[in-house]
Amino acid sequence: MLNITDLEKRWIRYKVKFYIPHLSIFISLSVILSIFFSFSNNTQEPNDIPHVVKEEPLLVASKESKIKVTPVPISKQETRVIHSTKKVKLSPSLDFMKKMQNSIQPYYNNEVSNKPYTVQKVQKVEAPKIEVVEKEKVLIPEYIPPVKVKKISIKRQNTQNDIYEIITRFKKNNNPALSLFVAKKYYELGDYQQAYNYALITNKINMEIESSWIIFTKSLVKLGKRDKAISTLKKYIKQSHSSGARILLDEIYAGRFK
Amino acid sequence: MNSIFVNSKNVFLDIVNAKDYIQLDQVSTIYQALKDSIKKPLKMILLYGKPGTGKSMFLNKLYKDLSSTQKVYLYQTPILDESEFYKTLAQDLFETKYSGELNFTQFMKIVESKKTEDIPVVLLDEAQLYSEVLMEKIRLLSDTRTVKFVITLHKTEKEDIIAKEHFQTRIWETIELENASSIELKIYIQKKLMKANCFDSANMFTNKAVNKIHKITNGNYRDTNKLLYTLFELYESYESSNHHRAIRTNNISNKIIEMSAIHTGLIDA
Repeated sequence: MLNITDLEKRWIRYKVKFYIPHLSIFISLSVILSIFFSFSNNTQEPNDIPHVVKEEPLLVASKESKIKVTPVPISKQETRVIHSTKKVKLSPSLDFMKKMQNSIQPYYNNEVSNKPYTVQKVQKVEAPKIEVVEKEKVLIPEYIPPVKVKKISIKRQNTQNDIYEIITRFKKNNNPALSLFVAKKYYELGDYQQAYNYALITNKINMEIESSWIIFTKSLVKLGKRDKAISTLKKYIKQSHSSGARILLDEIYAGRFK
Repeated sequence: MNSIFVNSKNVFLDIVNAKDYIQLDQVSTIYQALKDSIKKPLKMILLYGKPGTGKSMFLNKLYKDLSSTQKVYLYQTPILDESEFYKTLAQDLFETKYSGELNFTQFMKIVESKKTEDIPVVLLDEAQLYSEVLMEKIRLLSDTRTVKFVITLHKTEKEDIIAKEHFQTRIWETIELENASSIELKIYIQKKLMKANCFDSANMFTNKAVNKIHKITNGNYRDTNKLLYTLFELYESYESSNHHRAIRTNNISNKIIEMSAIHTGLIDA
């Protein structure tokens, strides 16, 4: 009589042994396949990216082509650009002024640039600059930014005649930014009396422009009216607590500014 | 009363008996070829094949069939002593009793003196066990055409050399026995069972089961007998231990076949 239970146990062991290689082959195959598919997915992804990249320039090109081919939308865009340039064009003129200030008074750079009067200037200077742009409309309809044109035109105003032009523009619109520019320009040229006059005019129009008061007092010192300059500065400091004015006062006291 | 499993088990007892010879198509053809070869004036016929391919059964069947018509002598176990071998042949073939040592020369004198028209056929099983010297003497004896030899050899490398070197020029007929195919094995099993009136057991062997058995035994008759003996012993054990509900009896399950193979050592578990 055979020992069935023992034989069944041996049979189970045999079946387990029999299926181990099959299982290991199946597992290794599935691992290989999963690795293969993951690799294939990775290789597909970069293929997708170039498609997107390719599409983007196509879209840009189509936009450009639309602008070039259809004249009506271009004219609309141009007018829009002109309107926008009216605002933009004014800011470079301020930059120019800042540069001018830098060359004269390096300590007041930040304060001058932070002043809010730029907005007022923008509105008032618009009119003459629109004319310049209108002339350029025909020449540069699409690409040339008007900023460069302005910079070039303003840089030409280094001569005495240019100051007169600005004086005439000031007389028309009574813009304190223009009078302050004239005052600074005169101070730079060494005409302290004119600098004093235009700074005084600026202060009368707007009493809160610090750089105008500084030019005013500096001109007074240069004109030999040191005491008046000191008293003016003191009064201004009392009202505005201007640090720039305080530094200048200290320098006058110390004799570093003569 | 014995159960069908006990009767079926006994069918596959590994006993060489001509009565248990199963007539299969391929085997029948080979057997007929062997019978025809014996009628021819051949010196020696070689029957070879792997162990368990039915060589011994062939010789037994041949002995049983020829013994009624001619002088046939079957030696299933080899007589390894040379003198004993000559003395046995002299007594059986020529009815000459010889006391004392009988050498080859003396035996050849007896053969020549007793020469008859009816050439005796000597069937030697397991001839690979004979010494090379004795095999050379058997070759010389067959050259006299006074005795016809049918020898069986296991087909191994060494035995091939023996066959080539000593018998190649004398052997007129070589017959190779091979393992059974799956279909032959099914016929073999079912015929064997039906011969013993085990019809229910014979019906249990489906193609699937026989294929499984063939895969394990490689169609070897001896291994198949061994496996099926254990298989029915297992069924018997299940039946006697009231576990027979756990097994199917309408057909042979792979589990039982594999368990039998594990028990017989045909499967290494």
